[in-house]
Amino acid sequence: MSAHRRQPIGMLLSAPYAVFIAAVFAYPLGLAVWISFHKYIFTAPGVDVPRPFVGIDNYTTVLSDPAVRRSFLNILVFLVINVPLTVGLALLLATALNAAVPFRTFFRVSFYVPYVTASVAVVGVWLFLFSSDGLVNQVLGSAAPNPSWLINEHWAMPSIAIYVTWKQLGFFILLYLAALQNVPKELYESAAVDGATKWRSFRSVTVPGVRPATTLVTLLAIITGANLFTEPYLLTNGGGPSGKSASPVLLMYQRGIEQGHPDTAAAIGVLLVIGVLIIAGGQRLLERRQA
Amino acid sequence: MTSTLPVGVSTDDRAGGGTRKRRPWGRIVGLSLGAIAFLFPFYYMIVGSLQQRSDTSLGGAFPKPGNVSLNNYHEINAAINLGRSLLNSAIFTAGVLVGTLVFGVLAGYALARLRYRGRGTLFAAMLLLQVIPFQLLVIPLYVQIVRSYGLADSYLGMILPFAINSVAVFVFRQFFLQLPDELFEAARIDGASELRVLRSIALPLVRPALLTATLLTFIGPWNEFLWPFLVTKQAGKQPLAVALANYISTVAAAATNPYGAILAGACVLAGPAVLLFLAFQRYFVSSDLGSGVKG
Amino acid sequence: MKPRIPLAALAALTLVAVAACGGGSKTSAADAAQAHGPINVWLSNNAQEVAWGKQAVTAWNTAHPDQKVTAQEIPAGQTSEAVIAASITAGNAPCLIYNTSPAAVPNFQAQGGLVPLDDFADGASYVTARSGEAGAQYKSPDGKFYQLPWKANPVMLFYNKKIFAKAGISTTAPPLSTYTEFLATAQKVVSSGAAKYAILPSPSSQFFQSWFDFYPMYAAESGGQQLVVDKKATFDSPAGKAVAGFWQQLYAQNLAGKEAYNGDSFADGTAAMASVGPWAVAVYKDKVDWGVVSLPTQAGSAEDQSTFSDAKNVAVYTACTNRGTAWDFLKFSTSKEQDGKLLEMTGQMPLRQNLTQEYAAYFTANPKYKTFAAKSAHVVEVPNVPASVEMWQAFRDAWSNSVIFGKEDPNQALSQAATKINDLVK
Repeated sequence: MSAHRRQPIGMLLSAPYAVFIAAVFAYPLGLAVWISFHKYIFTAPGVDVPRPFVGIDNYTTVLSDPAVRRSFLNILVFLVINVPLTVGLALLLATALNAAVPFRTFFRVSFYVPYVTASVAVVGVWLFLFSSDGLVNQVLGSAAPNPSWLINEHWAMPSIAIYVTWKQLGFFILLYLAALQNVPKELYESAAVDGATKWRSFRSVTVPGVRPATTLVTLLAIITGANLFTEPYLLTNGGGPSGKSASPVLLMYQRGIEQGHPDTAAAIGVLLVIGVLIIAGGQRLLERRQA
Repeated sequence: MTSTLPVGVSTDDRAGGGTRKRRPWGRIVGLSLGAIAFLFPFYYMIVGSLQQRSDTSLGGAFPKPGNVSLNNYHEINAAINLGRSLLNSAIFTAGVLVGTLVFGVLAGYALARLRYRGRGTLFAAMLLLQVIPFQLLVIPLYVQIVRSYGLADSYLGMILPFAINSVAVFVFRQFFLQLPDELFEAARIDGASELRVLRSIALPLVRPALLTATLLTFIGPWNEFLWPFLVTKQAGKQPLAVALANYISTVAAAATNPYGAILAGACVLAGPAVLLFLAFQRYFVSSDLGSGVKG
Repeated sequence: MKPRIPLAALAALTLVAVAACGGGSKTSAADAAQAHGPINVWLSNNAQEVAWGKQAVTAWNTAHPDQKVTAQEIPAGQTSEAVIAASITAGNAPCLIYNTSPAAVPNFQAQGGLVPLDDFADGASYVTARSGEAGAQYKSPDGKFYQLPWKANPVMLFYNKKIFAKAGISTTAPPLSTYTEFLATAQKVVSSGAAKYAILPSPSSQFFQSWFDFYPMYAAESGGQQLVVDKKATFDSPAGKAVAGFWQQLYAQNLAGKEAYNGDSFADGTAAMASVGPWAVAVYKDKVDWGVVSLPTQAGSAEDQSTFSDAKNVAVYTACTNRGTAWDFLKFSTSKEQDGKLLEMTGQMPLRQNLTQEYAAYFTANPKYKTFAAKSAHVVEVPNVPASVEMWQAFRDAWSNSVIFGKEDPNQALSQAATKINDLVK
């Protein structure tokens, strides 16, 4: 594309979005970062309370708290399980669902349904399945972990990871389905003419063809995974056994909103954002190297 | 030469095993197993919501004739004004959809296809926004919307933080990036103004992305509980997700089958989203996009 | 080319605009205390409380058309504190909230969101006259009342008569008075297959869950002590350790469930007992044939032993301009007549002294509530100390780790929690 001309109309077109971001999120975000460097509580208007600047005190407090460090580790465990599983399964299923399979509509809807159902209700079903005398343990018999899944400190976070993968897969399948529409049919045809098997054409046509979508899916999976809150809250009632399923956002909620310490909560939040940016940045680097 | 396949022939048969047409059995079996795994919890939800008395044993997974009734749905309907809440949910979601589909498309197009000052900053801001957890922002955001903008107890106050969904903007940007450069270059060389290019080339093609974006954006506001609840206390303005959450936390305990009532509410909430998907998903078939360039 | 407004500048402009708009009104407290006019109140969205609230509001509005009260509902659950904190910060809290949790009062007070009732001429005296000695524990560390003790739900032990009968245990005088008796009964219930668990309090790690398993029994065992007294944790004591040891045994022998249960385990018959308050009478009316006794203590339960109050109170919020009306309406809604209506319509115990005598007719007609009424004279509240939520969270984390999941020795865990809490509340 000829790279020398500028199109200033771009500013006009993206202005509403830019204004939206600035008007809605700039202040809260700025305030959150500011809060993380001060000793701060939210007060009623007109109430004067000392809010001294404390440098990185909040950050050191938070980093030296074993519960917080544990929660970041938990999220890493979560991401390691959830992201590859999500990307792989979503692409495979989207490809399968893109083809002319009988009952395609039924299949598509069935994979999408968990995504649209409110977590509050679905969680109950999962508790039913994974409780100590639930369906899964009955099927597994003596192979079932003891203590049972969600109260087992080694299985709590992986159980949550599998649950979230299952629940959100519909969203990512949708993204891939849309991307698959843009893979030109000619490429499949020429692969077929060259005698490629289905698996081969999947690897050499589909996968490269949806690369932009893969980037998006991976990025979004990382981001939503890092910001995990509802599932630890509902599935393992807070932090789980030995805090093994607490997530950073859960701790932010507890400390910021329940306990009234927005300063340490903001520090956790900023650290989380930095962590995600590092991971996402690392992922982009990996991709550029592969491309 | 462009090859347009006759309607009804799937590309899969051609790309698969040569010229033989085979039923993809492996695929069907695989998909079926997957579908069962995915649907079973939802199936259990529906069965549970139809139970008159709660039956948490394993046998409860199968509907028993004596235990099936619409009682739970009646109880919910009596406790909350389903019609009004659905309307509020619809207004909230529609507002978000309009904002996203109108301004998001423009922003996505600009980010993908135009070069201008501030593009990089905007893209970075968009990414950053995605990363930030809502819980970090919720109280200052509330203070800003209610105090500075004075939007308490209003639909606009509910809609504002969600007005333009950044994932959708990302999707639009991705979509426009994937369009062949030649499309745009051809038009520009012909002397079309940028607005003309937008109107006549980009927008007519954007329908698949619009569908994707609608489906993606719909769920957020539809299922959102905390924000609308914070912003409006008037029961008449609360969307269904809030009404249901309230119901779950209080009235449900006194219902004949509390858990069943919760499931009934969840089914009601999920219904429109599933219907929407059903309606839109049939547009996800290959378009002749690639072939539109040649010839 | 259009001049471009950098994102940063736009953000800065917004910040300045917001800061400029952020001022509050400057009426003095004394003036506001006299002001009269229309006010807003929030009720919890419990259906019966809403019904009570609506009739109280209607009665008031008829008598005082120039001081109209508008009532709205907020959720009674965990999010209510977040909602109240947010509205205090935004300055749009109502005048009265009939759903103020005593554990949240220190935080709201620190936020500058609460009006001390002592600001009103008869504030403190009204509270003392209505609630008597039980009201004293609701004072804040500075000696003022920032909340009005409104209603309590004294926690007692419900048992399922059908399950007990099936297990061969007496349903009229079940042996549940000492820890030893309770454990034996629990073992009998579970081993006979009559119920899956003897008792199933929520094993979740939320800060308030200890109020329903540990705290009621600690109140009984320690003779009415709060968790923290005079800025020192009290539970690192024989009483606290006894309660912890008791629960540890229940969990270790699987007599109490460690997993979250979906729904109401007592109503479903999964658990034979539950520690709940009088609100449960209406809920279990048709579902369970229940009996009620006091919670066990090591030596044996007594009629006048203490328990946790599970109270919900009313507070006046600083965003209120017509505080005079707010105070008058508060007194009206906690008058003898309205307290009586609250009792009739919700079954919860107003925190009023001499409850059984004042509403003798009601208790004769509804004997099931009488036990709770007598108990409401012996309730222990959560300590009114700064960092109270954090304190309970630290306690719950230690409890969960040691007593429920058995990863640590409870005595050690409690000691460490006590040290941490002493640090928090000083």
